[in-house]
Amino acid sequence: MAMATTTDYIESAKKVRRPLPWPFAAPKGFGLAALPLAFLLFFFVLPVIILFVTSFFTARSFVIEPVWNIQNYVKILWAAGFWQATWVGLKNGVFTAFFSVVLSFPVAYYLVYRARTNVILYLVLLSWFSSYLVRVYAWRTILGTNGVINSFLLSTGIIDKPLEIILFSPFASVITLIHIMLPFALLILVSAMRDVKKEYLEAARDLGASGPAVLYKVILPMTYKGIVGSFMFSFILAAGDYVTPQLLGGREGVTSGLLIANQFRSSGNWPLGSAMAFVMMATFIIVYIVFVQILRLARVAPGRRYHG
Amino acid sequence: MKKGRNDVGVQKARTADLLEDIMLDRRNFLFGTAAIAAGATLGAWVPQARAEVGGNLEIMAWEGYTLEKETEAWRKQHNMGVRAAIMSTQDDVTAKIVGDNAVRLDLAEYSNGYNAIYKELEVLKPVDVSNVPNYNKDDIYPPFYQGDMWYWDGTQWAIPWAWGLDTIVVNPELAGVEVKSYTDLLKPELTGKLAFLDNPLTVWPQIAKVTGYGEKFPNLTKDELADCFEKLKPYRDQTKVFASSNGDVISLFASGEIAACFCVWSAVPLETAKQNVKTVAVYPTEGGAVWADAWFIPKTSENIESAYAYVNQALEPEVQASVCKTAVCSTVSRKAPALMDETTRALFDYDNFDEQFKKMKIYGQPPRTSEQYATYDDWLQVWADFRQGF
Repeated sequence: MAMATTTDYIESAKKVRRPLPWPFAAPKGFGLAALPLAFLLFFFVLPVIILFVTSFFTARSFVIEPVWNIQNYVKILWAAGFWQATWVGLKNGVFTAFFSVVLSFPVAYYLVYRARTNVILYLVLLSWFSSYLVRVYAWRTILGTNGVINSFLLSTGIIDKPLEIILFSPFASVITLIHIMLPFALLILVSAMRDVKKEYLEAARDLGASGPAVLYKVILPMTYKGIVGSFMFSFILAAGDYVTPQLLGGREGVTSGLLIANQFRSSGNWPLGSAMAFVMMATFIIVYIVFVQILRLARVAPGRRYHG
Repeated sequence: MKKGRNDVGVQKARTADLLEDIMLDRRNFLFGTAAIAAGATLGAWVPQARAEVGGNLEIMAWEGYTLEKETEAWRKQHNMGVRAAIMSTQDDVTAKIVGDNAVRLDLAEYSNGYNAIYKELEVLKPVDVSNVPNYNKDDIYPPFYQGDMWYWDGTQWAIPWAWGLDTIVVNPELAGVEVKSYTDLLKPELTGKLAFLDNPLTVWPQIAKVTGYGEKFPNLTKDELADCFEKLKPYRDQTKVFASSNGDVISLFASGEIAACFCVWSAVPLETAKQNVKTVAVYPTEGGAVWADAWFIPKTSENIESAYAYVNQALEPEVQASVCKTAVCSTVSRKAPALMDETTRALFDYDNFDEQFKKMKIYGQPPRTSEQYATYDDWLQVWADFRQGF
């Protein structure tokens, strides 16, 4: 076999295509992501930019007037009603997200490491086959004055008159939202936990870690992204929801989502509605930052665990 | 030997020829598909000459008010198809006909009070009443003939065709007290048993009446508006829930959650009766709230001839009587009560129409823009604040 000479090497090197410099070069396999990315750019990023620009305009009776100003944001800043409604939404979101993640975490653990079939997963996902409103009204039936819970408590003599506080209260909103969000939280956690191989857990036990230590030092840090994703996904959907609080939250069931919808639909004031939506988005980002910092302080964020 | 036409061989040959005939070569296929594509796409751009009643009619109306059943035979006769979209709020119609993205809508409804905003937005086509012969002074009750919600600047802009009352509805058994006026809703027996319906159209005028601003509504100053809702606070203390729709109120009555509703569809008792819950509509000393729906032809209308014919058909006494029965509302046609069944006719005292209607008033809406008065947006804000307890 003939040995390759330096000249051969130089010639072959010339034939190798050099990658185009950024921004002309696309990462390998980019084509697979190009279509959904283009969809998102066109149908999400672009409308969001338009909405953001609109939030600095004014409106007169459904007609937007492109006059630059910050009056919408100033108005929101001093609107106590908006902040009260936002606070109601944030509380709904935080409680819903917290309980959705806490309740679905052990189920995800069972499904990934213990269960031999996916029957439990399918049972949890079964609730998706009923409509959102049907589930809301079902909870009204369960929690109502003459509902399942009150009837049971009355018939067993535990109470002598129906509990009025369980329906048309923040409790009713949150329990219904947990029911709606739990499958989403569970799916994200299952997906994240499947990346934590069983061998890692066994290795930790072999090295002397107790059960709680495996959870705290291996599973939680390695499913960190799943936990954050699961929490934020549930939080954003629950905090922005205004139908469930309106139907089950009683007279305090007004969230900022309803105020935003009113601006777009009834008032025809798109600029003010847009500004409200961006203020609400800013509060969501603050919640995200706070939540991530809490996880870091609790030493379950991977950066702190691996390098601290 | 040449075979006869009835020979089996000929039959086979003919079948083959036929197959060959219907098989397309590439050129024919390309021409054909190009023609189909052109027809499908360009057809929509070709202006349609439509001088006669017929074709497709795009309408938007409240559920139960689309008249598809009542006009079925008539439409068949005129070869007319109706594509009806259901509006859940008036804003659904507004969204379709306002702005750069307005879409075709041949006929739609507006509720009382929306005349001002639609006039300002210039989305209405003038109505040529000669095309709606059923809309005439003799056949229509006076409040609905050329009233200022539908007729201004010497032009007819919409045709009112259905109306009704929203008022207090009570479950006497749960309430435990007699309700004759709005102040009765403040009795201790009703604490935590009252519902408000989230419907500005009829609830806001009632709020103004109850707090002493009935005569001024919808033109209240901002100070008057603040005072109005300050006076309303005792009613909030009585409230258990703010219902999202008439259906929601019915559900709340049926499940025994509420004993009274501040102002809701007067036909709620008929619906709760179906669920074996007795409720009654109370016409308080302050009076009920009148709503009225009118057909209008939006600027985006294309099939105008059919739109006119449809409105005229909606005013036929038989159609009016039928709609009043199915949608539990009242008629604008003098000839319709004679065709109604007893229950439908009993919804309003038609024999003393003028006298009875004198007590009522069809209200407009707060102005969308004003330096002098509280705007619709201001009302929306205080209404939201009221709900939150501010």
